[in-house]
Amino acid sequence: MDRKTTIPIDSFLVPGYPDEFETKLLLSKWGIPVPRGMRFLPGEKFDPKKFIYPVVVKVCSAHILHKTDQGGVVMGVESSRIKEVLNDFENKFPGTPTLVEEQIHFRGPELIVGALVDHSFGTAVMVGAGGVLTELYKDVAFRLAPLTFQEAGRMLRELTVSPAFFGYRGLKCDPDSLSRIISATADFAVGIGERFSQLDINPLVFSGDRWIALDAKLVLNHG
Amino acid sequence: MQNNSNLNELLNPRSIAVIGATNTPGRVGRIIFEQLLRFKGPVYPVNIREKEILGRKSYEHVEVLPETVDLAVIAIKAESAVRIAHDCARKGIPKLIIVAGGFSESGEKGRALEDWLVSIIQNSNTRILGPNTLGLFLPHNQLDTIFVDHGDKALAGGGGVAFISQSGSVGTEALGLASNTGFGLRAFVGLGNKCDLDELDFLSWFGQDPETTCLAFYIESLSQGRKFLEKARQTSLIKPVVVLKAGRSEAGADAVSSHTGRLAGSDRVVGGAFRQYGVQRVFDDEELCDAAKTLSGLPPAQGNRVAILTPAGGYGVMGADHVEMTRGGIRLEMARLSNKTQEQIYKTSFSFASCRNPVDLTASANDRMIGDALSAIIDDDGVDIVICTAFFSPPSITDGLVESIASRVRDSQKPVIVFTQYGPFTDSYLRQFHREGIVGFPSIGRAVRAARFLVERAGILQSIRA
Repeated sequence: MDRKTTIPIDSFLVPGYPDEFETKLLLSKWGIPVPRGMRFLPGEKFDPKKFIYPVVVKVCSAHILHKTDQGGVVMGVESSRIKEVLNDFENKFPGTPTLVEEQIHFRGPELIVGALVDHSFGTAVMVGAGGVLTELYKDVAFRLAPLTFQEAGRMLRELTVSPAFFGYRGLKCDPDSLSRIISATADFAVGIGERFSQLDINPLVFSGDRWIALDAKLVLNHG
Repeated sequence: MQNNSNLNELLNPRSIAVIGATNTPGRVGRIIFEQLLRFKGPVYPVNIREKEILGRKSYEHVEVLPETVDLAVIAIKAESAVRIAHDCARKGIPKLIIVAGGFSESGEKGRALEDWLVSIIQNSNTRILGPNTLGLFLPHNQLDTIFVDHGDKALAGGGGVAFISQSGSVGTEALGLASNTGFGLRAFVGLGNKCDLDELDFLSWFGQDPETTCLAFYIESLSQGRKFLEKARQTSLIKPVVVLKAGRSEAGADAVSSHTGRLAGSDRVVGGAFRQYGVQRVFDDEELCDAAKTLSGLPPAQGNRVAILTPAGGYGVMGADHVEMTRGGIRLEMARLSNKTQEQIYKTSFSFASCRNPVDLTASANDRMIGDALSAIIDDDGVDIVICTAFFSPPSITDGLVESIASRVRDSQKPVIVFTQYGPFTDSYLRQFHREGIVGFPSIGRAVRAARFLVERAGILQSIRA
């Protein structure tokens, strides 16, 4: 995949309603790994040879909530099916960009890392058990931003899912690089400045030797 | 809101005026004045209609007082209080306590009145505690403006806890609760509506006060969240800061378009922020008092291994259950006593005693056996915290048990927490222990919870110093 074909966005020129592609681009500027991918605008020419298969195809818009529920995510797409899937998306979500990403394989827990602005205390960062059931588990820890690497480590130890970072059942989901991602997320939220409102990185998973953000949503203030 | 103010004129004034002091029994101005007669410095009643109050010459107006007092306690209703505050500021009285309600807590008209009050002291050196406050109670200098009952007899001995409460009634009820079991009070401050002085001013002040060993706050709204936390972190390096933050904040109310926002709900950010900044969080007034009592009276635990000594096996088992539960992320564990310790306990007691933790000396134990076993446990290197049960019902136990325990605990570097029996005599025994400098509680659950406060405190010191 060729990264140079991605649309360059200066980290200080954040769009008003960043989509998943733009959000991931920003995150990667703060050192948070994201899958390699390309965004296709409606009608844009598509060269299937640019990808290593299988890929994930996602509808890419800040205005579509719960894209999985709406059939806006298709996993495991092989080269033989890619044209068909893209055509489907164009019919289902007319005029909406599509994101094509490498498919990431992972073991271990799906995490959520997020940030928000608290009325009393200002910008806060969160880590916890992620995935679609994150709000049922409520296994999360908060701290104020910015925070040290050590403090991020203490957040991890508060979680029920914590043993997964420390060798439970052979899982070796590196707690140190995760702590760095939490602290980078805090810096990211502070770095966006006054316009920052909320961020979800969900899920964040451990793949190969690194944590990687499979999905991300950034909400900004307007006015 | 200015910071770094000198609160000496408020908390240790040279002289005081009571505006609204009166001879009429039952009136707030009368109760406050009467209480302040015990204060060591001059206290002047101010009342336009009465010539003499409780045998003291009364002054018509603050203008005619023989000196500029450090502190004026204004005990008249809201609108008149604002006018008098204006006179006091003009006269250069540096500190005012405004007792009356009817300000911002009571709607738009009151809000306007409070804005007026704030404007009066702008560009002056006068600072206000309140309005809508019970004021102060400092046992060491007998400065007491609280006009409702507040467990004063048991608290009169003073101590190291600075208790700062946004709510007057929670404050006084908590003082009553604290006084039941013995409590060392440095100062009680009722913040009221916080139109000027707020929790941050008192955190800064008592954080620096060498006689204060622990700060306890009841707070509904933090006026300056980040600054409070930053000051709390500095303070927690030298003394514990405990906060009961009541009332769900609106955090996250408009942050619901993300999982993070919905998970933050109203409260989780507070919990995380407190941990990050070395604040020990509690959830009700009993826990607030227990934490303050424990943390002001005992050193941080060097580890999390708890030993329990009891003459009643059941309480040992229950205690062990409480120890094994993880609460608030703080883990305790049951200590493994060394063979040497077990042997010493065996020698001092009976063949049928259980010398392993929890140590059960049975109901045949006497004062000396409990004392000796306690010494052996304290000396065991595998023990970080000791919970010593003091039951007075077994036939061989006498009131001498208090001294038998106290004499062993006095020289101990390790925290020892006493748990005593339920029943009508409990409070009296707990107060006896308190007078001997021993921290005690009337239930095994509260005793184990106290151990947790000490382990939490040690963790805070470790993470903040790192």
